[in-house]
Amino acid sequence: MHGLQRQIVEVLPRLRRLARVLARDVADADDLVQTTVERALARQDQWRPGTRLDSWMFRIMKNAWIDESRARSRRGRVFAPEEQGEVIGFDGAAAVQARLTARDVARAMARLPEDQRLAIALVLVEGLSYKEAAEVLEVPAGTLTSRLVRGRMALLADLEGDAA
Amino acid sequence: MSLDERLIAYVDGELPPAERARLEAEIAADPGLAARLARHRALADGVSAAYATVLEEPIPPRLTAAASAANDRAVRAHPARFAPWAAAAAALVVGVVAGRVVGPTSATLVAQDGSLTAQGRLDRALDLQLAADPGPVKIGLTFRTADGRVCRTFESGPDRLAGLACRAGGRWTARTVTAWSPEPQGAYRQAASETPPELLAAVDSLIAGEPLDAAAERAARDRGWK
Repeated sequence: MHGLQRQIVEVLPRLRRLARVLARDVADADDLVQTTVERALARQDQWRPGTRLDSWMFRIMKNAWIDESRARSRRGRVFAPEEQGEVIGFDGAAAVQARLTARDVARAMARLPEDQRLAIALVLVEGLSYKEAAEVLEVPAGTLTSRLVRGRMALLADLEGDAA
Repeated sequence: MSLDERLIAYVDGELPPAERARLEAEIAADPGLAARLARHRALADGVSAAYATVLEEPIPPRLTAAASAANDRAVRAHPARFAPWAAAAAALVVGVVAGRVVGPTSATLVAQDGSLTAQGRLDRALDLQLAADPGPVKIGLTFRTADGRVCRTFESGPDRLAGLACRAGGRWTARTVTAWSPEPQGAYRQAASETPPELLAAVDSLIAGEPLDAAAERAARDRGWK
């Protein structure tokens, strides 16, 4: 196995985690990871050693995901409507924490527009800096922060119910 | 910048020092603002924690195989969709799946298999931040032990903790944790005085050679702390 391939294997857990934020289920997420790995290997001459492999692969995954989303909408496949989560009163941060089970978070994330979900996934789930996340998404810094803020306000409103 | 924008940037460790200090003063003077900050912090920790367990899952063999393929032609021989052997083979993978994390999603350290494992923002900071990076958690020294493991000291303002964590089995395990407070605003800061003495003693007992310099620290991070 070559150096790059070994490094890709090491990044696999984080690629799977990012894919899990984007895709609807585990099988779709792992398909996205596989496509990402295949594209990365096919274009390995474009990777500059010494730069961050994770960011480079996240960008490939983002583009693969956008391609797939377009193909999906061409086929007319739509996501099943999400059932409305029960709304409970907002009672400060304790209530948010109590309600933030992984399932609730995943459901609320699934309701976000794609671009906001990607921004939140890179910063909050993968821990990238704003600068790194903007580079992965290939957008200006201001665009990244506005997606982050809109997405997070929507998540809060969703997870806290309308009382917030 | 709107108030929520500033609070979110603060939670993410992205506010420049002067703006951070100004916001901290505003928060100290306004309980409503502190509550609003707590909401953003709880959301950030909750989203991070919601996907954290994915890292502990065994990797499906088809993905390892795709990454190890000699060239992309060989990869295409394995169709991406519904490889029927993948699920069965996954059961054969030797891997340790950590026990489920129980407790509030904002926990920074969680007892797991008899040790304290870093979670959430602490785990993120230990994984990704370099010594100079800003953020709610600050990384101090990074060094190797005699048996080659990487250890790092940290200070977490929001948790009021400082400690020493070492990388083992793909996790950060705390070796020493101590109560710690950020210095008051405007206090004279001297690098040596910031690290609690018990932490320095723990570093001395574990360190082999010199701490990693900035380049070695970055290289170790990019190799996944191997």
